[in-house]
Amino acid sequence: MSGIGTGYDLSVSTFSPDGRVFQTDYAQKAVDIGGTVIGLRCNDGVVLGCEKTVVSKMLEEGSNKRTFAVDRHAGLAIAGLSADGRQVVNRAKSEASNYLSFYGDKIPGHLLSERIASFVHVFNLYWYARPFGTSVMLATMDRAGPQLYVIDPSGTAYRYFGAAVGKGRQGARTTIERLKLEQLSCADGVKEIAKILHQVHEEEKPFELELSWICEASGNEFRRVPADVVAEADRLAKAALDESDMDDD
Amino acid sequence: MLARPPSHSPALGPGCAGPPLAEASSVSIQYPAQPTAQVPTCGAASFLVDHNAVNAPGRDPSQHTQMPYVTGSSVLALTFKDGVMLASDTLGSYGSTKRYKSFERIRKVNDRTVLGASGELSDFQYIMNLLDELTTDDFCEDDGGMLSPREIWSYLCRVLYNRRNKQDPLWNSLVIGGIEHGKPFLGTVGMIGTHYTDDHIATGFGNMLARPLFREKHSPDMSEADAEALIHEALKVCYYRDKQSINKFQLAKITEAGVSVSEPFALPTRWDYKHFENPSANAVGTW
Amino acid sequence: MNGEMRHHAEALEQELKQGEISLGTTIIAASFEGGVVLGADSRTSNGNYVANRVTDKLTQLTDRVFVCRSGSAADTQNLSMYVQHFLHQHSMELDTFVSVKTAARLATQLTYQNKNMLQAGLIVAGWDQEEGGSVYAVPLGGTLVKVPFSLGGSGSAYIYGWCDKNWRPSMTADDCRRFVHTAVSHAMARDGSSGGCIRTVTITKDGCKRTFTPGSEVPLHHGELQGAARTMQVSA
Repeated sequence: MSGIGTGYDLSVSTFSPDGRVFQTDYAQKAVDIGGTVIGLRCNDGVVLGCEKTVVSKMLEEGSNKRTFAVDRHAGLAIAGLSADGRQVVNRAKSEASNYLSFYGDKIPGHLLSERIASFVHVFNLYWYARPFGTSVMLATMDRAGPQLYVIDPSGTAYRYFGAAVGKGRQGARTTIERLKLEQLSCADGVKEIAKILHQVHEEEKPFELELSWICEASGNEFRRVPADVVAEADRLAKAALDESDMDDD
Repeated sequence: MLARPPSHSPALGPGCAGPPLAEASSVSIQYPAQPTAQVPTCGAASFLVDHNAVNAPGRDPSQHTQMPYVTGSSVLALTFKDGVMLASDTLGSYGSTKRYKSFERIRKVNDRTVLGASGELSDFQYIMNLLDELTTDDFCEDDGGMLSPREIWSYLCRVLYNRRNKQDPLWNSLVIGGIEHGKPFLGTVGMIGTHYTDDHIATGFGNMLARPLFREKHSPDMSEADAEALIHEALKVCYYRDKQSINKFQLAKITEAGVSVSEPFALPTRWDYKHFENPSANAVGTW
Repeated sequence: MNGEMRHHAEALEQELKQGEISLGTTIIAASFEGGVVLGADSRTSNGNYVANRVTDKLTQLTDRVFVCRSGSAADTQNLSMYVQHFLHQHSMELDTFVSVKTAARLATQLTYQNKNMLQAGLIVAGWDQEEGGSVYAVPLGGTLVKVPFSLGGSGSAYIYGWCDKNWRPSMTADDCRRFVHTAVSHAMARDGSSGGCIRTVTITKDGCKRTFTPGSEVPLHHGELQGAARTMQVSA
């Protein structure tokens, strides 16, 4: 990062001479070094997948959740600092609940993403605040069908067909670009995400797959992918990896 | 987006939208806090009522108690061997006008709880919104957990009691039925926070018309079929003798298998007794 | 506020309430295949005095949603303006039409949260993509009820029977408009607080169409005579 040691990086209230807000860049950096998170908008729904590095042998399985439902029709996956991410999750929950209470209808995806983005953005405006070290992926299902959004630490929100953030994003994006997403079902999307996460994962430490989706199979509600489906995807991904390893040898 | 005050204001207590925190006002500076016996010394902070928020300067402390507009009549409920049964008609009365004939007054709360309501139906809708928020919170937790019927009942007791303490009651009698630890749960709350659990419950007119039947014929270990027959009979009596009722009912059953709320149905009624046609024939001089 | 002042304010409030201008009113909204029809009379009275004989009680909220107003004219006018404001704000952030459900929800919330202060019985009706034509009743206490058709105002008591008998689920737009029109005319024939002209709005996916029936052309019912002015016009 060019800014290191050149000043202008102590607060989000000061631009650098070349027009950057270094604190925001550093927050993005915190996301970039975190576990990979992938989202795919398939033809019948959205799948979100996280690579959760197992930091200790004594860690309980399934702890350190990274995907969260924020309403029945919307959910988030958080990349980067998970403690920061949970703050965003809480805000998203109350935005969804407020909208429902005020307008009597579930919040459309594009509005939820806008509101999360506004919230995140505020932390880039004041000297006493620190931007969130998290990018969140938002999966929604509404009148406009399934949608996938990514909101980054600067408060920018984009809608994607497929997205990847975190450590393995480069490799993951290349693979996602080759997928025919409009022909891909969520059931296959789960397998693809497992495969990509195994592909981009750096050897030594083991990792846990956390997958959530919103599609017909989950009753059009944002839910964890059932354990047996994840296990099967995991098995297939490992088999594919072994196969390609043998090809390499 | 306009900010919605949280449904339960920490300053005003459950069931009141309002400020999130006690706000220091000139009142509290002028009159320093007095030792208050009603404030719990520990725990239950979220149910602590800030009297400065209640009697904020410039605010009229007494709100006029409203009268109900659109109302529902009796809800009947009883336990049986495998669960709980609730029934009511589907009428929303407007004074004595039978205005809304398909108003569902019995609603599923979650996979093991059902709520039935009589009284002001706008307040019932408000209460359902509160419960739906809680149910969505449970959904977001995504751990399969949900509020138990007793928890929901306790919660509603707090909400209704707190609102009556604000001179602004929710004008309802509620019946909460469900399954808890494999056992039936049946409880009720009134508009001023009166509450109890029992093996059979009826609100409103039903308390006079159906409860005597229940006392005579109900037993907690009766079969589902017997319970259904009994509740049908009680519904019929309510229909004959409660002016604010129609022959269009819904029946909810909660068992270990889950919750079901029936489609509206009508019950057969009898008007063909011989003496009905000419009641004075055998009692000369009467009308 | 000291005791004396409060007493004075309450007395004034009482006085104002008593003289309040009220929409005696017959209002109705009915859904049909693909849309809704709303209808109303045009009388606004202040005690026995007809303050306005050509009132428009059908108020537009959005492109495809109207509201029928009954109760206090002041309350319902301001309520409608609030709802219009919120819906307008909301329509700018949505990429589609605002739903009838949302319009109805805003109306109920305002009515429910201020039930002690308002005298407003509303019927919100319109067309949207998800539900087609829909009618939501928002009576006095702020209950929200979705219904196939709804009546409101003092005149409604006189026509419940007729409407229950004659409403059918799949009418054409024309039949539905005739149903609404006839219903209002019957209410006006018996309710002193309803009268004047008949206004209707038909809302479908293609838009809103208003009709206006002047008081002189309102259908005659039992015991009524044709006005001379109209016969003269015809003969002239």
